[in-house]
Amino acid sequence: MHHDHGIHLRAVCKTFRGRGADVEALRDMNLDCAPGSFTALIGPSGCGKSTAMRIALGLEDYDSGDVRIAGQPPAAATAAGVTGVAFQDAALLPWRTVARNIALPLEVLGRDPAKYGHEIAKLIELVGLKGYENSLPGQLSGGMRQRVSIARSLITGPEVLFMDEPFGALDQIRRRQMNVELQRIWLESESTALLVTHGIDEAVFLADYVVVMHANPGRVIDIIEIPFERPRRNELYSAPEFHALCDKVAMVLHGE
Amino acid sequence: MANRARFLRTATARNLLILVLVWELVGRMDWIAGGALPGLSEILIRLWVDRGDYPSHIWATVHASILGFLIGNAVAVGAGVLFVLFPTLLRLTRGFNIAVFALPPIAIAPILVLTLSGMAPRITLAALGVYFVTMSATVVGLSQFDSRAADVVRAYGGKDWQVMRLVRLRGAVPDILSGLRIAAPNAVLGAILAEFGGGGRWGLGTYLLGSLGRGEPARLWGIGLVATLIAGLSYLVFAIISARTLGSTRSVTLNTAIPDAGGGTPGPLPVRLAIFAGAALLPFVLWWAFIRLSGVPDLIAKTPLGVVEYLFLSDTSHIARGKLLSALAETLPITAIGMIAGLGFAFLLAISARMFPGFIKTFMPVALVTQTMPLVALTPLLVLMLGRGTSVTLWITISVTFFPAFVLLVQGIQRVPQTVLDLPRAYGASAWKELRMVSIPAALPYLFAATRLTVPRALLGVMIAEWLATGTGLGNLLNQSRGYLDYGMIWTVAAVSVCLSVAFYYAILLIERRTLTRLGMQTVE
Repeated sequence: MHHDHGIHLRAVCKTFRGRGADVEALRDMNLDCAPGSFTALIGPSGCGKSTAMRIALGLEDYDSGDVRIAGQPPAAATAAGVTGVAFQDAALLPWRTVARNIALPLEVLGRDPAKYGHEIAKLIELVGLKGYENSLPGQLSGGMRQRVSIARSLITGPEVLFMDEPFGALDQIRRRQMNVELQRIWLESESTALLVTHGIDEAVFLADYVVVMHANPGRVIDIIEIPFERPRRNELYSAPEFHALCDKVAMVLHGE
Repeated sequence: MANRARFLRTATARNLLILVLVWELVGRMDWIAGGALPGLSEILIRLWVDRGDYPSHIWATVHASILGFLIGNAVAVGAGVLFVLFPTLLRLTRGFNIAVFALPPIAIAPILVLTLSGMAPRITLAALGVYFVTMSATVVGLSQFDSRAADVVRAYGGKDWQVMRLVRLRGAVPDILSGLRIAAPNAVLGAILAEFGGGGRWGLGTYLLGSLGRGEPARLWGIGLVATLIAGLSYLVFAIISARTLGSTRSVTLNTAIPDAGGGTPGPLPVRLAIFAGAALLPFVLWWAFIRLSGVPDLIAKTPLGVVEYLFLSDTSHIARGKLLSALAETLPITAIGMIAGLGFAFLLAISARMFPGFIKTFMPVALVTQTMPLVALTPLLVLMLGRGTSVTLWITISVTFFPAFVLLVQGIQRVPQTVLDLPRAYGASAWKELRMVSIPAALPYLFAATRLTVPRALLGVMIAEWLATGTGLGNLLNQSRGYLDYGMIWTVAAVSVCLSVAFYYAILLIERRTLTRLGMQTVE
């Protein structure tokens, strides 16, 4: 199939079989993220957007269809270390320092963290946490912890980057700051990015394509292209064409 | 806030000082039971006079406690890890685990002395005392890991063992440490109780037994204080260690994801029945294997079948049954009455304490200290003060159930969120109405848990009192049978008291589940 570092889901179906009621989380889900593109997956709670991402990461099985991450099945891609992931919560290990938390994926992949000292230092600087290398997560603010998890997602030099509402726990002001930073970090990494989010303005600000999903069953409704120049700046948030696109996404979201 | 803390500290110090002064006055004046409660200064003077005796006794007890503590905990942590990795194993060993939890140590002390030699009985009983607490703490700690952190490991192709190594083991450390904190005084208690069972010249338990007949209150109090101090110190050591490590281990944010119920698939009915039967039989199989492996002759060591034969098939069975039943008729009612009274006091005090928060602040430290007090050290002192009648048994049962129940209930009630309490008040409810609508229902799960957890303690308390003082019931039967070399009866009493304890535990658990399910509440571990 594709031998690029994109994300491809073909006719993926997934049903959760619970007690009594079955939930059809995904029906014929198709998703194509071109190499180096930034895609935002948006939809109401229960539309299957997180499930789609967990399937792409090999954390969840799927009933039928085909999934290729950088040309490989999910389990092979993650075990090969071509993916990076940041979850809604920073999910840092509270007993590890910032530097050792960033090194966690290396240990899982069986690489020697000692050889990555330079990369870790560079990433800590990239996310603006220089001087906090040896701090414990408990000593950091919510925004700083989230930046550690972004740095952790980049340590393997991933070709494909997954983010599940990485700033969901932050307030609106902090979130906008982080979005600008995330864009800068992503542009430097040249990876293919998939962002799962609830926030319309976040999706429009960051993505090349906004994929809108609906629930019951979870499916893709529309794909909206976002043509703004990069790097996008804070002023974009007040631009009329930005708001026009946000309104368009909202209309598709609400099924009008 | 700092001011308040200082005020509390001065208040506690002041109360302590008053307590010591009253104690001294009462003791010096011989107001209680003709001098059964000596003044603190008299006790300290006696301790100084006896200072030559103590080191060997303390060392013998501490030595056995430490060895038992190490062995018991190593087994417990290993078992905990295995149980988490293979949940079926946990279900299969449930009968054994509950039996270890519920067994009154004093009941099996004599059989350990019969089958093992030297320090082994003391070490074994100390190890048994710590096993359950640490094992369940390990299982809880390993089960309640941060599922998000585990997802990160899995998202990089991490396998179960990597999640165990990188996330779960380290995450369980604070739980294991708080388990060790509770287990440490248990090890001391176990070692002392095994000394009661006989054998050995040294040890605080031996010292205590030897001094009991001499009518020297000051010395008995001295031994009691030393034993309490050792148990308290062991608690303190782990309390400090766990306070140190806790800060860096707690998850920084609240995980809202519901953790997996762990082996939630019980399987088809035949498999479940097989596991249940296995769980019920395993303790008896282990008992049998223990005797076969220890190589003690059949005359002394009775297998489960041997006990059945002793009770039902031999020529003297009817005499043995008669003795056992009359002992049970003495022991069980007093245990039940004592427990009901102790739990009742604790419940009333805990819910009314909501109205007098200052009272809790001064009383809680006392209640917590008594938790670490070795029961055996307390019993002779109560015997001195209350005599050798039934009342002493009753008081011991009440006090061993009251304090743990009170602590558990207060902690439970304190978990009720302030907003829930504010709601009835916002509609002008009286304190009584608020109590009836919120505090009492909220305390109910903890009352059940307290009942379940104090059954073995109550039985232990009654048996110790009977053994040492009253000359009635199961405890006395056990002590007498030791004297008559009635091995069948020793094994029978041990088996019957463990089975009773387990049966009570399950009976309460059953009522608890029924009631709480009806009320839509969850059981407390």
